[in-house]
Amino acid sequence: MSTHAPHPTSPSATDSAAAPLVEMRGITKIYPNGVLANHEVTFAVRAGEIHALVGENGAGKSTLMKILYGMERPSAGQIFLRGKPTTIHSPHEAITQGIGMVHQNFMLVPSFTIAENIVLGTEPSRGAFVDRRAAIAAAAQLAQQYGLSVDPEARVDVVPVGMRQRVEILKALYRGADVLILDEPTAVLTPQETHELFTAIQRLIQVGKTVIFISHKLHEVMEISDRISVMRDARLVGTLDKHEANERLLAKMMVGREVFLNIEKTPAQRGPLVLKVRNLEYATETGVEVLKGVSLSVYAGEILGIAGVEGNGQTELVEVIAGLRTPLSGVIELNGKSIAGLTPRQVRQAGVAHIPEDRLTNGVALTASIQENLIVDRYTREPFTRGGLMRPAAIARNSEALIEAYAIRAPDGSLPVGALSGGNMQKVVVARELSSQPKLLIAAQPTRGVDIGATEFMHEQLVRARNAGVAILLVSADLSEVMSLSDRLAVMHAGRIVALFPSTEGLTEEEVGLYMLGTKTMSQSEIESHW
Amino acid sequence: MQVTLPSSASSFDRAAERARVQQERRRSAIVDLVVTLSTIALALLVGFLVMLIVGKDPILAYSSLLSGPLSRSHRAGRWIEDATTLIILGLSVAIPFRARQFSLGAQGQMFIAAMIAAVIAIYLPLPPVLAILLPLVAAMLAGFVTGLLPGLIKAYLNANEIVSTLMLNAVIVLLYDFLLTNVFTPPGAQSLRSELIQPNSMLLRLSAIFGINLGRANLAVVMVAVLVLAVWVLLSRTPLGYEIRIIGANEKFARYGGINTQRTIALSFAIGGAIAAVAGVHLVLGVHQRLIPAIAAGLGFEGIVVALLARNNPLLIPITGLFYSYLRVGGDIMEQEAAVGAEIVQVIQAVIILLLTAQVLVNYAKSRHRLMRST
Repeated sequence: MSTHAPHPTSPSATDSAAAPLVEMRGITKIYPNGVLANHEVTFAVRAGEIHALVGENGAGKSTLMKILYGMERPSAGQIFLRGKPTTIHSPHEAITQGIGMVHQNFMLVPSFTIAENIVLGTEPSRGAFVDRRAAIAAAAQLAQQYGLSVDPEARVDVVPVGMRQRVEILKALYRGADVLILDEPTAVLTPQETHELFTAIQRLIQVGKTVIFISHKLHEVMEISDRISVMRDARLVGTLDKHEANERLLAKMMVGREVFLNIEKTPAQRGPLVLKVRNLEYATETGVEVLKGVSLSVYAGEILGIAGVEGNGQTELVEVIAGLRTPLSGVIELNGKSIAGLTPRQVRQAGVAHIPEDRLTNGVALTASIQENLIVDRYTREPFTRGGLMRPAAIARNSEALIEAYAIRAPDGSLPVGALSGGNMQKVVVARELSSQPKLLIAAQPTRGVDIGATEFMHEQLVRARNAGVAILLVSADLSEVMSLSDRLAVMHAGRIVALFPSTEGLTEEEVGLYMLGTKTMSQSEIESHW
Repeated sequence: MQVTLPSSASSFDRAAERARVQQERRRSAIVDLVVTLSTIALALLVGFLVMLIVGKDPILAYSSLLSGPLSRSHRAGRWIEDATTLIILGLSVAIPFRARQFSLGAQGQMFIAAMIAAVIAIYLPLPPVLAILLPLVAAMLAGFVTGLLPGLIKAYLNANEIVSTLMLNAVIVLLYDFLLTNVFTPPGAQSLRSELIQPNSMLLRLSAIFGINLGRANLAVVMVAVLVLAVWVLLSRTPLGYEIRIIGANEKFARYGGINTQRTIALSFAIGGAIAAVAGVHLVLGVHQRLIPAIAAGLGFEGIVVALLARNNPLLIPITGLFYSYLRVGGDIMEQEAAVGAEIVQVIQAVIILLLTAQVLVNYAKSRHRLMRST
């Protein structure tokens, strides 16, 4: 089908004889604050399929699913279940009609066991008491049946994220869900856990369940779905069969224009050495050695990428360089001057900017205004502070300039950052860090949790900064990203740099993967020859 | 830097959005005001019912509660005197609260300040003005140090500030009792109390200025005005205030951005301590003009209520302070005139405060919810 003339699927257009299991027809949702979240959306899901719902942040996919799950009422439109019109006024009504939802932020009681969470609200009882044994047995049986391995007696707050998610799924299944809505289920998962999740989803389909999969990660969507519906600006722009779709087409439908998933960049104009790290060691307060002698060099005008499975010391490496953690020993020099052991402010003043990994936790203060967020690294300086007093006019001018230059969608700089969309919060971070005129920019997982438009923005900004002569240290768990952006590529494993490639030309993901897993290691002399 | 934008972004009408946001703000300010006023009305209604149940005359009781503080000039003086203390204390706790530090040390800081100010004002003969400034500055320094101590422990050792400040309060209050009994009370005195402070150290009473009986209300009201302005400037216009607010909003972010969070946290306790000390000075130089037992008992916690009601906004604290002390003084008068027990008075006060704080919390939750939804 053509994306230029998208026609929403309607009963007449569906080729299968049976009515769709779920059909939402002409759904419009206007929030009380006037935001149009859904505009005449018609969306149909067939029984037994994995139907992906994709779109950028704010495109209206979550709202549509909240309507289906009874958390929001549509302003107009009708829902049909198995061909019959129905109304869903609450999650409870959704569940009784066989619709279950797994939210992005898990809704579990952390201090309860997994079994207790699964049966919560419909507990098996013996007299006035909850029959714990029956609950555990029910949970175990359910887990077995669907191949979702969990430990029914473990407390939720001690089990890993992947298991918590399986608990959420089991909770929905326990309540008799036939249709499962998974809201960005892979956002919180490691690649391994994602793989496990996909296997579990396949199994659910085999036993006759139907899955709606919300995502903006296109390769995952292409991997798992049977059909894909794309939303943009509150509208459903089309539904495709998997064989009709490809990542590029989907990206174009999502964003509304041609998207460059491949990064265009000219060869690096490598300048002088900016960051020199030698034999850096770091251990946590509890004595766990995390960095075991890391050495690397970043030159002006180049991007040095660090690939690696998360948890191999990348986070700590970044935070040690940024001054947020104190190294045990080793050299960190910026333009020949040691910055090891300096405070975060001193490191920043030396010319280091830092786009943190967990941007919404560390990179912004949600309740503080955009203006305040944009000066956290410079408020003590002129023109923001003069004679000991801060100058609101200068602070506002700074924010207006950055909102304009980085196209942050913010009506007013005095609004709290928390009022912005996720992508625009990211832009606030990028705007602040890049506008500090850094010599070194550390970008940690710059596109994690970011949609396509924002990913493209982030990549453009990184390449632009590099071309302007900034030295960039890029840490990313996304192998294809780090391989296409980097001029030189290091691989980190178990607190060490195990490989350093002078160029990513001709390098394959499989090759890099071997180093990431620690099965291959370059000799120290070879690594040093590429410093 | 020029950036290509997704097509949707170009359709973003900034001027219209800005107008919408401003309208929304105006609307919610009006809604807030209406809700607050109806909360007070509701609380009074609940109190009315309580009074009916216990068989008192609610009309008489309410007329003394609501008009009592203004019925005679010396009662108005009591209101001014009480509000002076509460506003200063509200300002004092608002500073650590803005950094999200639950310092409960105002109580102890007031007692320390009272002692230091009294020692100087009783025993050191000083010329006018200096006789007030020196006790004031010394007491503020003592309050600063008394606040700094739990602040440092919190900032550098991460010890719970609620525990440390409460413990410190206990120590200080007992020390005060001990010194009052054994040192400050002159030998052979009829009751536990120190000598009067020297006349030069006494803050001028408002009665003397206006020629009407305003009880013990005194020139400390000038200090209140100065402090309100100073705290507003500190929080809204200085780098330290910015640091305090950013730490309150997100401490991790503050550290990431280069703010020395430990220093700022410790300072927020200490500055709060210095301001609480002014309340202690007011009690000694202005109200009692000597040390008496339990000179500031329970007041520190009333200051927390005042700050909470004002959402830690220094410009609102005078309003909530005046409101709350009006209730306190009105309650006392109700107790005398309508023979309503002190317990009932407290029940009514508690209901009003409970409903108002609940409303503050609901507003907070709502604004969070609004923020979440717009993402």
